[in-house]
Order: sequence, then structure tokens, then C-alpha cells
Amino acid sequence: MRLSSSQENAVLASPVVLFLLALLGFPVVLSVVYGFSEANFQALMSPTFVGLENFHLVLNDIGFWNAAWFSLRFAVITAFLECALGLFLAVYLAPLIRNHGWMVAVLIIPMIVAPAMMGLMYRLVLHEFAGPIPFYFYQWFGWSPSFLSAKTVFQTIIVVETLQWTPFAFLLFMAAYQAIPQEIREAASVDGTRPWRMFWKIELPQMLPTLFVAGFIRFIDGFRVFDNIYTLVGAGPGGSTTSMSIYIYETFLRRGEIGKAMAAAILLFLVAFLVLALGQYLMRRSQ
Amino acid sequence: MKLHLALRWIVFAFVALIMNFPVIATFITALKSPSEISRNPSLVVDSPTLENFVTVLTVSDRLNVYHYLWNSFSAATIGAILPMLVAFPMAWVMVRRGYGRALLFPLIVNLRALPLIIFAVPLYLMFSVAYLLDTRIGLGLVLAIVNLPLTLMLLVNAVAEIPIELEEAAHMDGARLPRLIGRVVLPLCRPAFITTFVFGFITAWNEFLFGLILTTQRAVPMTVGASFFFATSGGGVQWGVAAAVMVVAALPPLILGLVMYRRISGSMVSGAVKG
Repeated sequence: MRLSSSQENAVLASPVVLFLLALLGFPVVLSVVYGFSEANFQALMSPTFVGLENFHLVLNDIGFWNAAWFSLRFAVITAFLECALGLFLAVYLAPLIRNHGWMVAVLIIPMIVAPAMMGLMYRLVLHEFAGPIPFYFYQWFGWSPSFLSAKTVFQTIIVVETLQWTPFAFLLFMAAYQAIPQEIREAASVDGTRPWRMFWKIELPQMLPTLFVAGFIRFIDGFRVFDNIYTLVGAGPGGSTTSMSIYIYETFLRRGEIGKAMAAAILLFLVAFLVLALGQYLMRRSQ
Repeated sequence: MKLHLALRWIVFAFVALIMNFPVIATFITALKSPSEISRNPSLVVDSPTLENFVTVLTVSDRLNVYHYLWNSFSAATIGAILPMLVAFPMAWVMVRRGYGRALLFPLIVNLRALPLIIFAVPLYLMFSVAYLLDTRIGLGLVLAIVNLPLTLMLLVNAVAEIPIELEEAAHMDGARLPRLIGRVVLPLCRPAFITTFVFGFITAWNEFLFGLILTTQRAVPMTVGASFFFATSGGGVQWGVAAAVMVVAALPPLILGLVMYRRISGSMVSGAVKG
């Protein structure tokens, strides 16, 4: 028996389609059912339809808006810092990296460590008795900030996230920097262009699409942050580090409000979808 | 010029130290005895000892690290291989026939950018019906979803790089599709398979959120198991043991990642840029 070519296509695409239907199609149906129902862990299988009640609850919950605002600030600040630092490292270290490839390996180590594990490691490193950082602060300055207190915890997790993911931006910029045609630089240096001017007028514009991509990816990753914050401080002092993901997690598992958690997840999906569509539209237009 | 170069080295050393500081400090703490930890939090160990590692690697009532390691290993293996199996034929029809390029490909690739928590809640409900909660297979299936987008992208890149003449030649020789894919395309994609597997394995090993939500005991992965050591019930955290657990937990992906850092960084870049 010989299959026609469109039959062949369907056969070859079928594994991934079945996989998606089973593991995502079914959950999507569940999301919709439970998003519009009231349910709890005691009666998991018997949701009762309550219409838009859950969405009403979520949108009137100050905790939801606080979490959204937290995630937004966190994502914007970390994406900016990671791109700025990553760009600097990629350009400044480029002359060294050309001859010493192993330097890249050293710089990407933070990314290979699980973010959850990073959070735990910082718990040790920042601990007031066992941690080396407060120890050295005391030794050198006679004073140490309490890194995980309500006042400083936001800055601390910003630094934690930035130090772990700057390497990602660095990698993208390194690749973009190496891809700039050498002739452009040579032509510019024949004209007597100074290094600083070369960067602003010639190299940076060449890397602008990469800057956009890196910033966008880091923004999305920052917005959905969960692991490192959760393992370092949980929801933080007074819930001050409740990101969107932590909010949904706590609503679901801690408080058992299934319908509300699902409604929040659906809202988050809609926002993420819009942001993605917008981001891709802008990227396509800029190319 | 010399001074400039020295300055660059200093910046590199400083940045490398700061970014890797938690990893370095954890490793050093793991080498300290409990009494030394309470007296000396600095980075210099007075009397290095392996007793924390012995504690961690010895099976006891309280702790069986091999259980966590095995859970992570099996779930991460499923989570890395399954997406390759389902995505490879798709990658070929997409590149060579343009099938699914309009809808399926963007759909899958964009999954990567969605917050994982969106799937966590409905998957929990589905798994509780399907008896997949707290199983290694269940966790592996979920990790396969996480890995699918990047796997598909890397395999699409790999197929696209095969010279079409090779496939045409095989076609001329009368090779039918299964033979063409099995004998020509598959062997040429082998390097990409290795990269994709390693990348997927590391990602799956490092995953935390689904392990936290979907497992409670039997299938708890290493990342979640490590966090148990920080639960402060009963007399505070044993920092030395906790540090040794973290070293053990972080080592498998670190070794894989450092051995293959060129490919890992390369696929990160292509995954980002093509998306």
C-alpha cells in the first residue's frame, strides 16, 4: 500500500498532535470547566457551575492586582538590568573571548544551575549566622543589611534573578557581536572612528534586533518567575514577594480555591497571549 | 593596551566570582563540619571534611538521596526523549513539505513563553483523575511538554541543514519515505539529537514547579527534595548537610552542561533568535 503525500504528512504530524491533544487539549477543557465552577479538594469531581463568579472574585481581589504589579515591576527591572549587563560583558570581554572560549563556560554556569537551587543556595549565603555575605559585611563594614527583610527583599531578589540570567543576555549579545561583518568595522576604523563612537553608531544599531529579542524573552521569564523566589523567601514577609505564579499557586494549593485559581490562570493566559502577539507583531515589523 | 587587557581580565574574574558566588559558597560550606559552620561562616575552611557528603550519600530513615536522584533521572529522561520522538517526524514534514508551518509550529513554539503555572492547575486535576499524581511517568510527561517547543525548534534547524540533494538522490534510488527518513535523515540528525537530549535533560532536571505541585512522596524530584532540607521544623537547618545535598543535586546538570557548553550555548542562541 502506498500513501499519498498528504496522507504521509498527516501520519508524520500525528504523534505531536496526539501528544498535544492529550496533554494540553484535555487540561484546556478542564480549565474552562473549573474556571466557571465552584470546586474544592473534598469534592474535586463535582464542580458546580457558577458562571463568572470566579472571575469576579479574582478581579476584586487586591492580592491579584498586587501580584500582577509585582511581576510587572520585577520583569521590567530584571530584563533591563540583565540586558545592560549582558551587553556590556559581551562587548567588553569580546577581545578575550575570541582567544579563550572556556570563559563562556565559566560565565554560563549560573544558568545551568536550577533556579530553585539558586534560591536555596542564596538562603544559605545570605543567612545571618551561617552565610558568608553577612559575615563579610560585618567584617569589612561593621554592619550588614538584613537581606530578606520586608524593606530589602525586593532588591535582593532582583539581584538574585539578574545575576543568574545575565549570562543568557550575554550569550545572545556575544553571538550578535561576532556576527557583525568585520568589513564594517574596518571601514569605520579607516575613517578614524573612535571605539566609543564605533559602539554607539555602528555596533549597537547592528545588535538592536538582538537587544529586542533578549529584552522580550527576559521580560517574559521575569514575569512568570516562581522557583527562585519561592525557595528563597516563599511569598516573602507579609506576602511582599507574591509574583503572579506564586499567587496562583497559593490560591490553588494553600487555600484550595480551585475555581478562583483557574480563573486567575485563564486571565494570565489571555494577557500572556496578547503580549506575545504584540511582541511578535513588533518584531516582524522591525525586521 | 596592556593595561586595557589586564582590566578586562579583572572584570571577567570579578563578574565570574559574583555570578557564581552562591555555587562556590555552597560547595565550601559543604566541606565544613557542623561545629565549624556555627563558628566560621567565611570562605576559608579550617579543617575540611567530607562528613556532610557521607551523611547525604548514606541511606537513612530520614534521607534517601538516591530516591530523589532516581526520580529526577527517570522523569528527566522521559522528559527529554519523548518530545524528540514526537517532534522529529513533525520537523521533517514541516521543513520539507511546509506542513504545519502556519498553525502548528507557532502554536508549539509559543508554548515556551507561557507561564508554566497556567498548565499546573489543570494538569493537577487531570492527573488526579488519571492516577498520574506522584508518579515518575506523570512528571516525565509534563516535563516533555516543557521541552517540546525547544526540541521542535532544534530539530527543525537540524533537518533544514541537511542538503536537499542527499534526500533527492535517495528518492531517485527509489527509497520510500520510511526508508528515506530512517536511513538518510535520521543519521544526519544525530548530533542534533545529542544536543537536544542534553538540553532537554538539563531543563527537565532543573524544573521545580511541577515537581512541587504534582509529586508528594514517591516521585519527588531532586530539586524539590533538596528544598525539604530547609524546612526549619525541629531545631533549624543543618547547613552542612543542606549544602552537600545542593552540591549533589546541582552536579549532574553542571557536568553535562560544562562538557557540552558550546552546544548548549549555541542552542540557547538559536532557540531564542529563531523564535
